Amino acid sequence: MFFLSQVLGRPIRDMHGERIATVRDLIVRIDDKPYPTVTGLVARQGRRQFFIKASQISSLDESGAELSTTRLNLERFSRRENEVLLSKHVLDRQLIDVDGRRVIRVNDLQLAPSPSGYRVIAVDVSPHGLLRRLGVRRLGTPGPLLDWADVEYFASDAPAVRLKVSHERLSRLHPTDIARLVESVSYQKGAEILESLDVETAADAMEEVSDERQASLVGGMDEERAADIIERMAPDDAADLLADLDEEKQRDLLRLMEAEASLDVEELLAYPEDSAGGLMTPNYVPALPNMTVEQAIEHARALPYEPELVYYFYVVDSLEEEQPVLLGIASLRDMIFAGLSRRMDEVMTREFYHASSETSSDEVARVIGEYNLLALPVLSEDGRLLGIVTVDDVMERLLPVPWRQRLPRLFR
Amino acid sequence: MLRRGPRPRLLRYLAYLGPGLVAANAGNDAGGIATYSSIGASYGYSLLWALVLITISLALVQEMAARMGAVTGKGFSELVREQFGVRVTAFLMLTLLVANGGLIVSEFVGIGAAAELFGVSHYIVVPMMALLVWWLVTRGSYERVEKVFLALTLVFFAYPVAAILAHPDWLTVGKQLVSPSVRLSANYLTLFIAMVGTTITPYMQLYIQSATAEKGADTSPKEAKVDAYSGAIFSDVIAGFIIVATGATLFVAHERIETAADAARALQPLAGRYAGIIFGIGLFGASMLAAAVLPLATSYTVTEAFGFEKGVSRTFREAPVFLGLFTFLIFLGAVLAILPGINVIRLLVFTQVLNGLVLPIVLVSILRLASDPAVMGSHRNGPIYNAVAWVTVVGVAVLSSAYLVMTVLSWW
Repeated sequence: MFFLSQVLGRPIRDMHGERIATVRDLIVRIDDKPYPTVTGLVARQGRRQFFIKASQISSLDESGAELSTTRLNLERFSRRENEVLLSKHVLDRQLIDVDGRRVIRVNDLQLAPSPSGYRVIAVDVSPHGLLRRLGVRRLGTPGPLLDWADVEYFASDAPAVRLKVSHERLSRLHPTDIARLVESVSYQKGAEILESLDVETAADAMEEVSDERQASLVGGMDEERAADIIERMAPDDAADLLADLDEEKQRDLLRLMEAEASLDVEELLAYPEDSAGGLMTPNYVPALPNMTVEQAIEHARALPYEPELVYYFYVVDSLEEEQPVLLGIASLRDMIFAGLSRRMDEVMTREFYHASSETSSDEVARVIGEYNLLALPVLSEDGRLLGIVTVDDVMERLLPVPWRQRLPRLFR
Repeated sequence: MLRRGPRPRLLRYLAYLGPGLVAANAGNDAGGIATYSSIGASYGYSLLWALVLITISLALVQEMAARMGAVTGKGFSELVREQFGVRVTAFLMLTLLVANGGLIVSEFVGIGAAAELFGVSHYIVVPMMALLVWWLVTRGSYERVEKVFLALTLVFFAYPVAAILAHPDWLTVGKQLVSPSVRLSANYLTLFIAMVGTTITPYMQLYIQSATAEKGADTSPKEAKVDAYSGAIFSDVIAGFIIVATGATLFVAHERIETAADAARALQPLAGRYAGIIFGIGLFGASMLAAAVLPLATSYTVTEAFGFEKGVSRTFREAPVFLGLFTFLIFLGAVLAILPGINVIRLLVFTQVLNGLVLPIVLVSILRLASDPAVMGSHRNGPIYNAVAWVTVVGVAVLSSAYLVMTVLSWW
């Protein structure tokens, strides 16, 4: 086992032990295997650089490289697909430490021989690694290293190479953690993370990203992909995001989105951001008064969208109409204790608090907090149900703002 | 339909006037005001032409830094680390640390001088304010107080008014703006280079790049240009008025500037006997602002370069290097500013020498990065732009080396 920094600049000898060049860089292939394999090295001889295939290398360590041949094919180096240069594209760059849920910077890389060739096995992010690079020799025992299998590489660090890097492992993390990673790197890398996740996860994570960052992320993303992600976000969050974009971008994205989703969002965009209208979502669970509890649940299962909140069933006069009249609200608790065969109009309560689309978000927060609600229906003047505001959308206003979030973003 | 939708154009443009304006105006801090006042008092308007050239250079340099931030989404130290490696980074960070450390000392000297204007001993005020700054930033209440400090610096708008009330000979002012004149005296050259050093300070470039990067794809390179140019012009117009105001009063009366109270007399045409108070308020605000932002930006840049945990929202356990460095810089700045037996003027001069020396190094790095197609793609510097920028860099480098030589010679 040896470190990359110990090989760079070391001599390359042929099979007779004659120095023919020095090691300029190592080439590895990054693919779906857990550890990248060395496929060759870039050698430097005077001002000339050339390529040596891994099959011609008989040994590689702190003392340099030894070749198994005397014949050198002095071909100019050109990269192939999925190949990156360790010194140029990995050293000093950022990686994601998936288990640590943080972004790290590569101080050094550890390599080791294996039956299939030399492989990168670990990343050194310790001050030890820094000092080693600076030429401090006697360091004692190196700090703990990160297993390469637990980190993820950014394809955008190796431009001009067609590199397929999947960030699939990130989907294991909580959307909030993904959002935090996305915010701690440049917007291009943030966009790369979101683009490589499955659309569902990306949408969940995007909802957790701060408003200012959302706009720049969408700017750095492929528009089709951005539209797919926004489509799957909760309509109220999607409207907030789109509201921060310029007019042209907003129209383009709305056009690319599925008709239904874009209509929902467009409706919400008509309301000011900090009113009940701006906070509400049209994705509630509706039911008819003559349905039994069982039928209402069946109906909820078959809804074409994923409701934001299932604890309240909204009993309305029609399922066809876009804005039906709200007759009453049944909570899951009421329904469970009433039994499956009872009719919804027997279970529901006709007395409920509601907001109008103009109600300020502070007022909505106050009502939800005061009466311990999970959601508040938003009604038009003639009692038609426009949507619901869920507690998570006003949570921030209910809690005292922690000081951490008040800091200027730049130094947070 | 899209009633909420995009912000109006003008508002968007005003929003871009963020980082550039803040960064460039940081040049009008304690050291800046002292330098501009000394220039006005010693040479009247005869260095105004140099300010015009310096403004053009500042605009160019700031624009490059902002463009790098907008295009790459990365901060300066991040780019340096990725493109130039650990050794160059370590060298650059060390010089920046020392140069900014010196600036921090000068800010605390400014706080002390402001205190003396109000008749309070700086032995009491400086340690108190150091504690206050540390407490405000680490407790996260800094953002609210920042506006207070910023508001205090608004009193420097008194300079244009004072300049007009002093009835300067505008024809001479106009002539001096466009006709270069050089005097071969050590003091003249010293002030000339001090003006370069205080107007184009490396940390302005660090700040504008990080802040623009933070805004991400929201800022197009064109908008970054508007921001950088307007910031440079605005702050130097204020600087110009400081020179005119002191030139029309102190220079005409053949008075030299020895203390802050002397410098304050330039405001007498406007404020009469309250000139000292007005000047003291502004000096206090500007120094407090910089005394908080400088240690913050310095610790942030250095820890970012080496990949340590950073951010004021972290605890000492989470980010020991960042918070340790931040605390150390404030402590050292305050102690050196009041240590009896230390020649404060000598220390400030030394600070400017350091900044002058670091500046060409930082500028060369910026130029190399900004014209590298691998970093900037199609947004890299064009050939004409590059030529002008190199002339600036060489000019600044020659001046600061001359300054260094002169300073060293003057010690014998």
